[in-house]
Amino acid sequence: MSLKSERRGIHVDQSDLLCKKGCGYYGNPTWQGFCSKCWREEYQKGRQKQIQEDRELAERLQREEEEAYASSQGAQGTQPSLTFSKFEEKKTNEKTRKVTTVKKFFSASSRTVPKKENQETKAPSPSINRQVSIETEQVSKEFIEFLKPCQKAGHDVYKQCKICLEAMQQKREASIEEQSEYVQDFYHNTAEKLQLRWKMPSEKVEDVMDHIEKFIMTRSYKHVFCPETTDDEKKDLTVQRRIRALHWVTSQMLCVPVNEDIPEVSDMVVKAITDIIEMDSKRVPRDKLACITRCSKHIFNAIKITKNEPASADDFLPTLIYIVLKANPPRLQSNIQYITRFCNPSRLMTGEDGYYFTNLCCAMAFIEKLDAQSLNLSQEEFDRYMSGQSSPKKQDAENWPPDACLGVKQMYKNLDLLSQLNERQERIVHEARKLEKDLIDWTDGVTKEVQDIVEKYPLDIKPKPQPLAAIDSENVENDKLPPPLQPQVYAG
Amino acid sequence: MSGQRVDVKVVMLGKEFVGKTSLVERYVHHRFLLGPYQNTIGAAFVAKAINVEGRVVTLGIWDTAGSERYEAMSRIYYRGAKAAIVCYDITDSSSFQRVKFWVKELQSCEQHCRIYLCGTKLDLLENDRSKRQLDFHDVRDYAEEIKGRHYETSSKTGQNVDELFQKVAEDYVHFTPFQVMTEENGVDLSQKKETYFSCCHH
Repeated sequence: MSLKSERRGIHVDQSDLLCKKGCGYYGNPTWQGFCSKCWREEYQKGRQKQIQEDRELAERLQREEEEAYASSQGAQGTQPSLTFSKFEEKKTNEKTRKVTTVKKFFSASSRTVPKKENQETKAPSPSINRQVSIETEQVSKEFIEFLKPCQKAGHDVYKQCKICLEAMQQKREASIEEQSEYVQDFYHNTAEKLQLRWKMPSEKVEDVMDHIEKFIMTRSYKHVFCPETTDDEKKDLTVQRRIRALHWVTSQMLCVPVNEDIPEVSDMVVKAITDIIEMDSKRVPRDKLACITRCSKHIFNAIKITKNEPASADDFLPTLIYIVLKANPPRLQSNIQYITRFCNPSRLMTGEDGYYFTNLCCAMAFIEKLDAQSLNLSQEEFDRYMSGQSSPKKQDAENWPPDACLGVKQMYKNLDLLSQLNERQERIVHEARKLEKDLIDWTDGVTKEVQDIVEKYPLDIKPKPQPLAAIDSENVENDKLPPPLQPQVYAG
Repeated sequence: MSGQRVDVKVVMLGKEFVGKTSLVERYVHHRFLLGPYQNTIGAAFVAKAINVEGRVVTLGIWDTAGSERYEAMSRIYYRGAKAAIVCYDITDSSSFQRVKFWVKELQSCEQHCRIYLCGTKLDLLENDRSKRQLDFHDVRDYAEEIKGRHYETSSKTGQNVDELFQKVAEDYVHFTPFQVMTEENGVDLSQKKETYFSCCHH
């Protein structure tokens, strides 16, 4: 990438056109100067690595989570949250299953029936199977209507899309990366063809491409969104649990420049949360992106009202992280992956939608890696909040807004009392332990002292020294002697 | 919505408070104000069309969060960027350490991204030359070494700001001539069709 400024205009050497790898084919700037084959190799390498890294991260997080749960299971009080999370997980599983089932009922078009459908475990009865979803039908109709004015080009595009869909169906068993690559290639080739062969102006091409994306992705959605071949669902749950565990993060910790006390601002925040949650309900990558963009616009408005100046990235990113933490959008990871894999890349890489999407990816990465340091907390504080032993929100209990719910206030008051009680109890237990220890120590001390003394002055019963045969000493042995002679008076 | 076509992705990198946002604001809206702004709701992403030798190129300017807590994520931002404007504060030598970090990152991860070093707050030197902590020639040498370009700008006076972005657009036009042509006047491509299209060989 030399920066020769003398080369002006559109003069191009033959060598500039060739693939950078030197394979002899022509390169293309959209593939960064590679030919399509070499580009795919390069790109694939990078993407594989990325995927690998993502997976490792997710697995590590999963492990950490599990360890955390395992350790918290021992502690009292966390048991309910564990069961609750289990329940939630089940619910999510169920929900996903339900969604797929419902989708199965509606969207299986007659076209897709013959080959693969029987492989699916819970295949509904054939009569239901043949019904074409209203939505799919609608999209097809719209697409045909839209292509009509394009005449020949439109006809060609429609034909190509049909081929693409059929190929996608064939690839259903293939890895999601392969499918994604196929669709990306299709987008690229179609756009090029529209421009070069049908000589469409670029705005029109954009428009057509949007419709193609809509048409193809509406039909392929159920097979390529959160596919069973990947661990997307597992990662979704990991992210979801992670966000739930971070419920205590306040806007102050993230330095979010949004003051939710202003009603207008809190309104914007609610709207932003709604938008980001809504993303999961859309089928077309572009519609999902539009949700992210809408959410971002609301965030910008919230910041603007609070700060009275336009937001920079330094304001925006923390706020987006905060919104994601508050919203805990369903299947966040799957949605991000789906958009990355199947959105028209020209939109994703450069435009405004792409910018907000990148920020969302960034927010998720931040949430996954978040630690005490990134919230300006000490490690102890962070651990305490994470384990649910204390909550930073408690301190706010005094300055509730006047319209806060009475029950909630009471609850926080009670929680406060309980925690105080808990604290006191702990103190009592602590003191009692100390007393016990003191007592034991005292007994030990006394015993030791006594022993010391005993050692120092051993209680030996020494044999009594041999008595000297003192005449006047009283002697036991004297007893054995015959009684002293008593003076006797003899008569005579 | 927001479907504006963007040709070049330009990322703004730099430590917190070096003035990335001000630079973009100055360029896009020709102002340097601390008071309330009217038209924009956000300066984080801006698309700006620019004229280069009779062609219109749209720059998509991506502002990034400079705080170190988001440093690990910066790689996500410059993926696919064609140009990176790495900002530092002329009056703060510590901000240049971060520049070296980003340059290294860009060189290893995003080889197709051209690097523009941008010293900000040039106006602060007007009254007091001693405030300068980073030598012009040192940085210029470094820029040459990394095959990048170097500008010193002032968002307050607007000095060099337009020049910087103009250069970004010009470089883009000069180094990717064909892409610009496809986007600008696709009709003309009919003559080039043979050479251009033959890259598809699958």
